[in-house]
This record gives sequence, structure tokens and C-alpha cells, in this order.
Amino acid sequence: MAVCVAVIGKDNSPLYIGGVGNDTSSDNELSRQWLVHTALDALEERLATTNTNNTGTNSNAARTDLRDLYLGLLYSTDTHKIYGYVTNTRIKLVLVTSSTSPSGSNIRDAEVRTALRRLHALYADAICNPFHLPGDQITSPKFDKQVKNIMLNNV
Amino acid sequence: MATQPSDYTEFPPEIILKPLALIGLSGLDAVNNAVHKEIWDAFSNNRRADRTPVRFKLLNNTFEFPVVKPKRNSYEWYIPKGVLKKNWIHKRVALIPAVVVIFYDMDWNDPQWNEKIIECASKVQSIRAAVEGHSTRVAVVVIQSRLSPPPSEYMLGAERAQALCAACEIQSKSLFVLPHSDHLMGYILRLENAFYDIAQNHYHHETKNIKQHRDHLNKTTHQYLFVRHQFKLGYLNELKQDLSTAHKHYMHAYNNLLESRIVDTNTHEVRTVAGYINYKLCKLLFALNLPRDAIAQLKSHIERYKNRIGSTELLFEHYAWIARQYSAFGELFDEAIRAGLPAIQSQHPGFYYQHAAQFTVKRRQAMRSVCTDATQYPPPPDPLEGIVEFYGQRPWRPGRLSADPHDPQKEQAAVMALQHNERVFNHSSMIISFLGCAISQFKTFHSPRMRKQLVVEMANEYFYSADYGKALTLLTHMLWDYRREKWWFVASHVLNRALQCAYLSAKIQDYVQLSIEALSKYIQVPNNDKDRIFTNIMSVLNLKIPAAEPDLPLSSQQKALDLWQSAIDKEPLLVPVDMANIASFLEVKLKFKQPRYRMDEIIEIELYVRLSYNTILEVKQCFIAISSHTETIEIPITENGSSLITLEGGKVKRFLCQFKPNPRDSGTDLHIKNVSFVLDSDCKRKIVMNFKIDENKVSESTIHPELLHFIRSPKTDYEFDCIVPLTVASVTSRECKLSLLVNNSSPALQGEWFPSTFTITNNEESPVYNVKITLSLLSSPDNPNPDSVTELSLKEREPQTQPLKLNVGSIHTTESYSNMFYLKTNRTATTTVQIKVSYIIDLPEISKLECTKDFTTKITVIKPFEVATSFVDINFQPISKCFVDDPFIVMPQIKILSPWDLLIVDTDLEVVDCFRHSDAKKPISCIRNLEVAEKNVASDAVCIQAKHKPRDNPTRVGLYNITWRRKTSTSHCVMSSTALADLPIDDCPIAIKVNYPEVVELLTSVPLKCTLFGKCATPIRLSVTVEGTDAYMFSGYKKLSVTVPPKGRVELCYNIHPLVAGNTTPPRLKATVIGGGVSQELISEMFEKIFPQNIFVMPKYNK
Repeated sequence: MAVCVAVIGKDNSPLYIGGVGNDTSSDNELSRQWLVHTALDALEERLATTNTNNTGTNSNAARTDLRDLYLGLLYSTDTHKIYGYVTNTRIKLVLVTSSTSPSGSNIRDAEVRTALRRLHALYADAICNPFHLPGDQITSPKFDKQVKNIMLNNV
Repeated sequence: MATQPSDYTEFPPEIILKPLALIGLSGLDAVNNAVHKEIWDAFSNNRRADRTPVRFKLLNNTFEFPVVKPKRNSYEWYIPKGVLKKNWIHKRVALIPAVVVIFYDMDWNDPQWNEKIIECASKVQSIRAAVEGHSTRVAVVVIQSRLSPPPSEYMLGAERAQALCAACEIQSKSLFVLPHSDHLMGYILRLENAFYDIAQNHYHHETKNIKQHRDHLNKTTHQYLFVRHQFKLGYLNELKQDLSTAHKHYMHAYNNLLESRIVDTNTHEVRTVAGYINYKLCKLLFALNLPRDAIAQLKSHIERYKNRIGSTELLFEHYAWIARQYSAFGELFDEAIRAGLPAIQSQHPGFYYQHAAQFTVKRRQAMRSVCTDATQYPPPPDPLEGIVEFYGQRPWRPGRLSADPHDPQKEQAAVMALQHNERVFNHSSMIISFLGCAISQFKTFHSPRMRKQLVVEMANEYFYSADYGKALTLLTHMLWDYRREKWWFVASHVLNRALQCAYLSAKIQDYVQLSIEALSKYIQVPNNDKDRIFTNIMSVLNLKIPAAEPDLPLSSQQKALDLWQSAIDKEPLLVPVDMANIASFLEVKLKFKQPRYRMDEIIEIELYVRLSYNTILEVKQCFIAISSHTETIEIPITENGSSLITLEGGKVKRFLCQFKPNPRDSGTDLHIKNVSFVLDSDCKRKIVMNFKIDENKVSESTIHPELLHFIRSPKTDYEFDCIVPLTVASVTSRECKLSLLVNNSSPALQGEWFPSTFTITNNEESPVYNVKITLSLLSSPDNPNPDSVTELSLKEREPQTQPLKLNVGSIHTTESYSNMFYLKTNRTATTTVQIKVSYIIDLPEISKLECTKDFTTKITVIKPFEVATSFVDINFQPISKCFVDDPFIVMPQIKILSPWDLLIVDTDLEVVDCFRHSDAKKPISCIRNLEVAEKNVASDAVCIQAKHKPRDNPTRVGLYNITWRRKTSTSHCVMSSTALADLPIDDCPIAIKVNYPEVVELLTSVPLKCTLFGKCATPIRLSVTVEGTDAYMFSGYKKLSVTVPPKGRVELCYNIHPLVAGNTTPPRLKATVIGGGVSQELISEMFEKIFPQNIFVMPKYNK
């Protein structure tokens, strides 16, 4: 279902960008990166508005901490749909589906939510590795393999 | 409004123009007649949105209305030649007014009334003849110069107006009067509204006409007419400002057009018209505040026509058309936002401009694939010449509806002509301007990253159109942001493109900087060919032309070579590169070895350099710039004594840089500002790589050494990643080896000159000279502003201005200097004295080093004693008030608090005005020369009496001065003054004096004489009674009344005879005031006080 999955650090630097499909050329890689990078605009806007809402209803301050990590559909282009997820440590997870392929266009929100939750778990596992330096790109082949599995399994 | 690039797909102005009812004004001579000009200006100027939606046109005498087409009775044999006629809208907005208004100057009481009415009627007739066939309405405005007709002429006016209506054959509601007076604008606005009403009627009539045609039409041959009529209805309703009805008719037109059969020959016409109708639809939806419907309309519109490509030879036309649909919509959206429509990040005009740009790119691709052969414009006759009557029709086959091309040769030439035009069209500039519009929109709607992507696309477009300078500027700006967010893949893409631009425009500065960044480990270069880039840098350094970048457009390569040829050995010969802000192949970390240096230490800076690109780099010079508050110094780095430094790829080198601090920088911070590496190959050109150190950046370093434990780092790296830079170090003055000893008998007593001895000993290894000592008082929280209450002096009892300065001169090693200072304070708190010693010393390393040291000593100050006061009467009974001329005793009690023994030298009571000492001569103090120790109490007694009753009771009886000194000190005495408490004074009208013995013998009569003195100016009558007791017998009046004369006296004599021994109460007199004027209480109190409470009676011994 997904054509691309990205993990972005809290300083908005890419930690991992993975794509499936037969496109390995650098042009496709580039367009994928553009797509994820521009999705940050929508992500940041979404985070900024939830923050201002939180301050507005400070009576429910405790409840707003339990904000849903899954942000839903960020935006869609003619060819792609982009979903966002933000962890409590401001790690951003982005999932891109293709709206031209039948499996991608009919995807349900709940499926994306589950996939992103699993991605979150995988990310948490990956950075538990003591040899990984937080803030560096995730180079673990195991993580890569598991993420690609998520992307394909849901087809 | 954002300017839109123009090409043949641009919408004609009449489509874009907002339809307004057209009103023709005739009979106004705006050139020669000032009044007419004023009226015309009032109509035509300042047509803001809040005014009536009409357009005025001045019709002169020569104006010709379009000829009316003959009315068609039947549509049976009529086959339309196209969808929409080009001139129809133009006629409605410019040629056929809805109303023609004839202006005529005429007063109701005009003397030539009859002639005028005829002239006016003939004018109306001629206009009516001119608009014959059109349903244009006619109205008349009479311009009257009189301000207002006299009341008597009301009737005349009404009569004549009626006559005029009849003569002109107009209804009375089409006749208007315009008095030319002060309120012209008000009249004009009212006229406007009236004209607008008439115009609306006219358009309504027109729509009815068109609707009548519909019955005659059939779907097989007249499909185009269905579209045309609905479009006309829509437009007329727009003129009527009935927007929702207009939208309905346009929608019908749009749907009818969709149903028409599309073949290659009419594709262009159908989509052109569809585009216009869609534009109208979207515009109306925005005006009706239905933006979502407008967006949905555009989406379905594009969806429907996306695949109606038409002939593949003219594929580019299709894409051009789509791009125009998007851009026009973007413009409409933008206009709506400016009119107050809110837009959000995910839905704003920028997306439509972006689509327009994307489809223009596709248009270019299509052009490249189909127009390769069209290298020349076809020979005359020009197939594109010719006038077309309908929108979207081809000039070479106007009005033909059949699907087959009737003249293949002509068709061929026309396609060739179109293709050639497309070939020479500047697609890039169009794409760039679409992108420009999109960029500004994305910026407005909080999408900085989307904006950046579009800027990069724009730069690419500049690159394709060979404008390398502009492309380079854009790219270098964008590179900055991608680098900051560490999107290295994107950054690499941008950087490689920028590098191409820099090469092609032969900009040495940018070329060198970009090349250096390209060598960074984060940047990917095409073919992974970093060696080539490194060689290029070296070539530029050696004044040689660098090798070309890969994938350059062939056409620009030769030009680039020429540019390099002329630029390579010219300025800039010095190429500074700011390395701190770019990713590069050199990494630098700087560290002061210590965060703090003393003046006599050598400052050491460690410089770690890692070259991440695998090469050997020879740096000609390297220096560190360090700034203090006084100066900036540059310290060269050397390796094995030579300034040439060799760096090896993948390895870390450590350099140590040492220097002595400047004595003037003592007490300040040193900052590392910059590290520069100079590449120089003795060919005039130098590349200076500057690492500017930004202190704010250093502190937010993201490396946490504790996280690096598991990261394998080669030992030769000096664990580069773990090094935490330290770019600030403070320089403090050298440690001082002088010592101070203060000797005094603390605590000091308040008010005394307290001596302290201080001794400074030189513990330095060499003599010190120019020693200066400064003594001053330090303020502290419990003792603020000590200067105001405390004196400091080097001599006893001689206050000196602070701070005290002493020039001591030299002190030899192990020798000492001592002196004494005195302190006198009136505040009982701890006083802090600062002793600041400054001197100059010659050290082996540094000569004439100035050192200072501050010593402080704290001196506690306490009160020497406390004074309490009590008042007693002559009988030593405590009293709470006194009477005038009635003596009493003041008893100050001095409680000693000082831990040191004191000697009270003398005491003295200074009474205030209303008291005086009772004794004629001031008695000597009874505690004079008394030695006292801690916790002793010394009591004094002084007899005083009140002289008179003052107006206000004094706040104190007087000042009690105690002169004292320490018992051990012999030098000086201190006088402390204490205010004694207050005692109220009362006035009594009489004074009483009683003579009685203190002691009497049993059974022995003694006289008791009581004298009453009158004190006031009036006689006082008293009734005096004797209160006898069992212990005494007495003789004399038991009860009598006396009158005490003013200033006189009365004596009462009694004999008393004691009957029992011991302490007895004698008989006492009591007095009651007879008559008023005097207070009974006061008299009773006086009597009570003055008569003895007891007398001791001695027993009598019989011998």
C-alpha cells in the first residue's frame, strides 16, 4: 500500500527514508524526498495549531497530553496521499501512498494508523540499539527490512 | 494582481471583464461645455464597487449603433457555423446600450420654450431612429440651471414636463430633471439608480426574446445553438447582476457543450469555449461565496477534458490549454481571497499556479516530441492569417463543421505554422512566472518547504533557459535551508545544479565554495567523482581552467570556456570561503586547555583538524584569531617549526598553539573568533577557508559524549567526536602572595575612635614596590551607606575623606609594613573595612606585573550602655506628672553593656526651657568618676522643677550627657547624649506648703502649719476639713472655709499629738472648692500629694 515511509527527527532532519517499488533511480529518490520534505509544512502547521488549541483550553491540560499521535491525512496530491504521525518526542513518521494504484487509493484510515503504530514500535526498537547514536540516520538493515515489510504486507 | 504570462491561450478581455449594464449618454458636450463636463465626470469618475454596477458611455453625434440582423422566423434550415460569436459580448458591453439618455439644457420657464421643446423632441426622435431594431430604452434628462423654481411655477413645471413627455413620446417616468446646483453628486447617484432600473428591464426583455428561440431548435443540428443561447442568457443575467440565474444558464451551456460531438476539427473550439464558460462559472461561484463548489467545478472540468486531446500533432495546445485553466482559476481564487475569502494551507491559489507550471512543462515536452520537424515557418500564404468569427476556430478553415479536412495541403501548412510558433515560444519564462506566482502564494500560506521546492524548480528553469546567474543565486539560497535541516540528498541535488551554474557562468568565488562543499561526506556527486572536483579546486588555485561539470548543455559549454578563459587569472585572487556555514571536507575543533588562566601562565589552545576527504592537503598557512576586549590577535599554527601544514585524509591532526597573555587583558575573557586555512600554490590566487566560531552555536552542540561510548572511533582520531569545544577562557590576575593581619580589641563601642592595627607582610619571592594601600568602607545589607555614619581616619579624632590612601613604597621579601587606622561610627552594626593593596612586582617571566589584592576586615560595633529614666517626687515616690514650681527628681539609670570596663567621667543633665534645676547652683554629678563593668547599673539623681506650663508638652525633659572612656584608654573621652523621657507638666491654682516633722515623739504635741498660696488672678474659696485619725489628737478648726486671695496666702495652724508609736498616718487636710472656676480634682490631688502619708512616731522612754 505504501510507496514510501520516512522517519524525521525533531530537528526536521531525515533519519530514514525508505521506498518500495522498482524505482531506485535517483530521480525517483529525489521526488520521494521532495514529497516527504514538503509534507513537513503540513505537519508543522498541524502541530502548531494543536499547540495553540492546547493553550486555549488549559483547563484540560492533562487531557491534551494524551493527544493522538496519529495526525491522519496531511494532504493529497494528484498522485499521492501523505499521512503523518508524531511521537511524543517530536519524531515525525510520514507514510506516503500512491493514489494511482488500486491498493493505495482505497486504503482505510485505520490501516494507515496501524501501520504507523507499528512503524513507531520499530523505530523505538531501532534506537534502543546502543551502537546507534540518537540523531544519526538509521542505517540498520533489520529496521529497513522490517519497514519494507510493513509497506508491502498491507498490500 | 499577479501578472500572468501571455500566449494564445489567454482569455480575451471581454471574458475577463466584469459585465456591467451599458448606459449611453447623449447630448453631453464634455469638451466645450463646463457644466456638461462636470456632469460627465460625476458619472464616469470614481466608479468604486459600492456604486451602481453600470458602465457609462458618452455617445457623440457620429456614434453608430450596430446594424440589426434580420430577424429569423424559422431555424429549420439554419446550421450554426460555430459556438460563440466573438463580437457578441463586445456588442453588449460597448456598442448596444441598454439605455440611451439624452441630456438637454432647458428651464421650465425658458423664454424660447416652444423652440426648445421641438428641438429636444427631434433629438429624441433621431436617437430612436438610430437604435431602431434594438430594444434599447430612451430616457431624457433636462439640465436646469435655476436652483429651484419659485413656488408659483410648480404648476408650470408639471404642465411643461407633461408637454415634453408628449412631444418626445416618452413615459413620464423616463423624464428626469437634473438641477445643476451644489448637490450634483447626490442627483447623479439617484439618476444612476434610475438608469440601472431601466437597464435591468431592458436585459430582462432581451432574455425573454432569447428564450423564445428555444422552441424552434432541435438537438441534431442545433446543439451549438443550445450552448450559445444559454451562454447569452447567462451573460445577460450577469449584466442584470442576477448572479445565481446567470450561473444556472452558464451551467446549462456547459452541459450542452459537453453533449456535442467532438472530432479533431472542433476540439480546439469546444475546449476553448468550455474554458470560457468554466471561467465564468468559477468566477460566479466565488462571487456567490461558494469556493468549494468553484474548486469542484474546476476539478470536474479538468477531469472531463483531460483526455480530449485532439490531434497529436498539436498535443502541446492541449497542455497549454490545461495550464491556462489552472492559472486562470488561480487568479480567480487569488482575487476572491483579496476580497475576503479565507484560505488554508492545503487549499490556496498556489497549487493552481503550480499545476499551471507543471502543465507548461508538459507542453514543452510535447513540443519537443512533435515539433522537431517544424524548423521553418511555412511559405506564404500565411495559413494563420484570416479573421475568425467564432471563439476557438481555426483561421484556415473558418466556420467549417465537417470532420474531414477539406484541404489537406492547407491543413498541413497550418499545423507546421503552429508547431513553428510553439518551437520559438519561450516556455521557460512562462513556467518561471507561473512558479513565481505559486511561490508567493506558498509563502503566504505557511508552506516554506513547498516554496523552496518550487524555487529550486524555478532555478532549474532558469538553468534551462541559460540564465545561470539567476539560477545560481536562487540555488545558493535554497542550499542553505536544506543544509540546515540536513536533507543531504536534496541538498546534493541542489548543490550539483548550483555547481553547474557556477561553472557555466565562471563565477570563481561560488565555484570554489560549492566545490569545497561538494567534497563533504554528506554530499553525493554524480558518478561519485569527487577526485575530479578536488582537481578542479586545485586547477583554479593554479590559475588553470577547471574541467567541465558532467551533463552540461552542449550549447553553453563553449561560452563557458570563453568565460573561464577571461576570468581565470583575474580577480578575485583571494577567495575567502566561510566554512562554518557549509558542510565541507574539513572539520575543526578548538579548545582552550583550561577555562581559566592566570596572568603568569601560558595560554594553550588545542586545534584538532579532521580531513574527511581522502587526499593530502597542504595548507600554506593556518592561524587562529583570538579576541580580547582590547584587541584581536592572529596566532599562526606551525608544524615542526614550519608554517606549511600537511593534512591527511581520514585522519585527525592536533596542533598546539601557545601564547602569553597581554597584561591589559587581566580580568577579561578571551574568545576564539576564527581559524583560517590558506591554500596557496604561489600562483597569486589564494583560497582562505575561514571557520568563524559562533559561540551560540558551540553551546548547543548536539554531541553528547556519554552517548559515544559505544561508537567506534579510531584512537588516532584523538576521539575527535568526543571533543567538546571550548572557545572562551578567562584571564585572571596573578595570585597575590601578600598577607594581612589586623589587630584590634573588638567589639568597638558606638561613638568611640576605635583603633585597629594592620600589618602587611610580603611573602613574594622578590621585593614589591610602588605599594599602595586604599582603605574604604564596604556597604553590606545590614549596614548600607556606611559612609554617612562612620568616620575612618589614620589619626585619632580627625575625620578624613574616604577612601584613605597610603603610599607605602617598597616592601622587601619577608618584610612587613604596619599602620593603624581609627574608626568611629554611630551605628551599631558590623562595619566592613576593605583594605586594597596594589603593587608592582618583577617576575622572571614578566616584569612590572601589576598585582592587586583585596582584604576585608569586619568590626562589630555595640552600644556601650543603655540609659533608662524614672521620675520620683521629693519623697521618692514615682510620679507620672509634675506641677509647676513643684520640685521632683529625675533618675537616669545607666546600664553598662560594654564588655570592657568603663569610667564614667561626668554626667550632666541639660533641661529644656520649661524646666530648671531646683538648686540655685548645678550640683556635681553623683556618679562622677565612677568605674563600671559590664551589667552594672549606675543611677544618677537630679532635682528639677517646672518653670511654667508650656503650650505643648515637651517631648523630653532634657538631654543627658555622659562623658566616658574605656578604663584602659587614657587618651580621650567620649560624650554620649541621651534624650530623657517626657513628663507632663500641670498647673495648679494654689500651692501648698506643709511644715511637719519627719519624726515625732510619742505624746508630744508638734505644730503642723499649712500655708496655701494663691497662684491665679482670682480668689479661691475652699472648704477645708480635717480627716482625723485614731493615732493622733489634734487642735484647730476641724472644718472651715477659707478664701485664698490672688497672689496672697492663708496660713492654717494645727497642733497634732501622736497617741501611738510607729509608722502612723497623721491627720490630713482635705479641701472642697466652693463655687466654680477651679477644678476640684486638681485641688484634691494637690492636697493628697502634699500631705504626708506617714510620720514615724518614736516611743517615749521614761528615764
